[in-house]
Amino acid sequence: MSGPSVGWYLIVAAMLFGIGALGVMMRRSPLIVLLSLEIMLNAANLTLIAFARQHGDLAGQIFALSVMAVAAAEVAIGLGLIVAMARRRLVLDVDQASALRG
Amino acid sequence: MIAGGWVCLLAPLAGALAITLAGQRISRRTAGWISTLTTFIAFGGALIAFFGLWAADPEDRERVSTAYTWLAAGDFEVGFQIQLDTLSSVMMLIVSGVGGLIVWYSMGYMAGDDEERRYFAYMSLFVFSMLMLVEAGNFLLLLVGWGLVGLASYLLIGFWHHKPEAVAAAKKAFVMNAIGDATFALACVLLIWETGTLELVGVFDDVGSMSSTTVNLVALGLLGGAVAKSAQIPLHTWLPDAMEGPTPVSALIHAATMVTAGVYLLVRASPVFEAAPNVQHLAAILGMLTLLVAGVVALVQWDIKRVIAYSTMSQIGYMFVAAGIGAYGYAIFHLMTHAFFKALLFMSAGLVIHHLGGEQDIRKMGGLKEVMPRTHIAFLAGALSLAGIPIFAGFWSKDGIVSSALATGGALGWTLFVAGLVGALLTGLYTFRLYYTVFRGEQSAFAREHAHEGHGEGPLSMLVPVGILTVLATIGGLVAIPGVWEPFLHWIDETAQPLVEPTVGQDYGTSAIAVTLGLVGLFLARRAFQAGRQLVTNPELWRVLEHKLYFDELYDALFYRPAAAISAALRRNVEEPVIERSLDEIGSGTIHVGGEVARFQSGLLRTYALAITFAVCVLVVVFVAVR
Repeated sequence: MSGPSVGWYLIVAAMLFGIGALGVMMRRSPLIVLLSLEIMLNAANLTLIAFARQHGDLAGQIFALSVMAVAAAEVAIGLGLIVAMARRRLVLDVDQASALRG
Repeated sequence: MIAGGWVCLLAPLAGALAITLAGQRISRRTAGWISTLTTFIAFGGALIAFFGLWAADPEDRERVSTAYTWLAAGDFEVGFQIQLDTLSSVMMLIVSGVGGLIVWYSMGYMAGDDEERRYFAYMSLFVFSMLMLVEAGNFLLLLVGWGLVGLASYLLIGFWHHKPEAVAAAKKAFVMNAIGDATFALACVLLIWETGTLELVGVFDDVGSMSSTTVNLVALGLLGGAVAKSAQIPLHTWLPDAMEGPTPVSALIHAATMVTAGVYLLVRASPVFEAAPNVQHLAAILGMLTLLVAGVVALVQWDIKRVIAYSTMSQIGYMFVAAGIGAYGYAIFHLMTHAFFKALLFMSAGLVIHHLGGEQDIRKMGGLKEVMPRTHIAFLAGALSLAGIPIFAGFWSKDGIVSSALATGGALGWTLFVAGLVGALLTGLYTFRLYYTVFRGEQSAFAREHAHEGHGEGPLSMLVPVGILTVLATIGGLVAIPGVWEPFLHWIDETAQPLVEPTVGQDYGTSAIAVTLGLVGLFLARRAFQAGRQLVTNPELWRVLEHKLYFDELYDALFYRPAAAISAALRRNVEEPVIERSLDEIGSGTIHVGGEVARFQSGLLRTYALAITFAVCVLVVVFVAVR
């Protein structure tokens, strides 16, 4: 086992996750929210791979691959929604899209 | 012979099913013919069974035939079985014979009614039910027949369902009968518990091994059923109201298929009642009360059918007296002659009603002798038979009952004897009050008005059965002449050995007194009629009798009003405040909580994300802290 210890990877992953979470919570553009979500997912992927390397177990890497597949599907839907909103000339602001208020 | 029994049982059922299934495809007249013919086929079957038994060895006159096991639970089995013996064969003949004549008569009476097919299907069902009742080889089938008779009578009494009184009367009859059905069913349950069987023969063999309490309870249960079905005090109030049905239905209920069931049960279950003599005497006392009460109430009624209905109650009272003191032969003998003359009276009353366009009030009738000579003769024969005037059928049977009471002796016997004689006087009074008011004197204006519409006295299908019954009511009693020729009584004795047999001297002595009293009644009624006054002149008494001794009012106050008051109180104090309000509260509470919760749903995506993040943080902290 060479390279930095797993703790460093975790620190980087935690920072990425925090950046992503702040992005989701603070930005109003749906495009940026979607990007931030991707960052969070990739932070999780990084953790999975780091631990997989540490334990020498491929399960974590396979899990990361499936997360990527899910992320791709999610981006396809998310971007589709954003394109649909743009086509209808709706304001691209998640705070304005609050029709489901109780 | 057994085949005859099965044919007799199933033919009317087949008729009822055929009419029901054919529906609109057959004409109304065809429905009538199907019903009449199947009933007469049943009569043919009954004849085969009867003569088969007649030819059989006297030791061998009890045949049980089981078609299949109908119900089985562990060791307990009940078969679909019939029992043919001397008693049931006579009952089969009466039910199918008189029933057939009545169904035939209804073809004329009901012609032109809207729902004749339904009517004839019900009639066939009624006859089938009663045949099931008398042929049943076990108490369960007897109970089934018992219930079906109640159902058929309910359907027929309420046949004119557009009349509210008819519907009310049907419900009343059904409820009153349900009380009796319930006690009967309880008696059956007790029998299963104690003897493990419901077969008539098996139960009668085991009567000796039961405790006296059980026997008394069983006998009481059976008596309750009999009292309800036969309209005896205290469950008698349904019978007069049952006059709301069509007249042939009244004839069927009174003569052949319904009220006689109670008497049949008392005789059929005589081993049980003999083991419980107190209950048997209770039956006699109830019969005595009924015969007196019904006799006096009949004196003031204005409806031609109601008078006859009260006379039925009174005559069934005689039969109960006979069965109660163990004169089973006379009970069934009176049942048979009563079937003849009561069917005759109802059917000739039906001719009168038919002739007068549906009028039943005797105050509007009068002097019908001239316009309806044949009906007059038929009615007179029925009336003489009912009043017990010699050679007519009722004379032989009623006097036999009264003299049996005399032969019983003791306080009970003498009371019953005196009551029977008073009953004979009352019978003469009310019967001939009816006869004179309807047929003698000046023709009333109402009768004259309607007489012109008359097309003779009625169609042939009505006159022929009436003619046959006139003959039967006249000479039908000659099968049991005291001391000379008593084949009928010996025939019944083979199934139900009598406890008491009057001597020939007692018989003729009683007859002399009873006939005198009957004639006195006749002449008193005649004199009152000629003088233009009523038999009951005291207005107070008149009012009491007109209200039928306030039985309806009493039951109203005892049962209906408390039940209605309790229901109303429960509605006011439980249903409305507790149940209905609690439902409202649950509903509005849910709406309120939902409204509060809905405020969290802002629709703002970022808020949700914040909430999720915050919640995850809390969970992580909790998780770490708990570890």
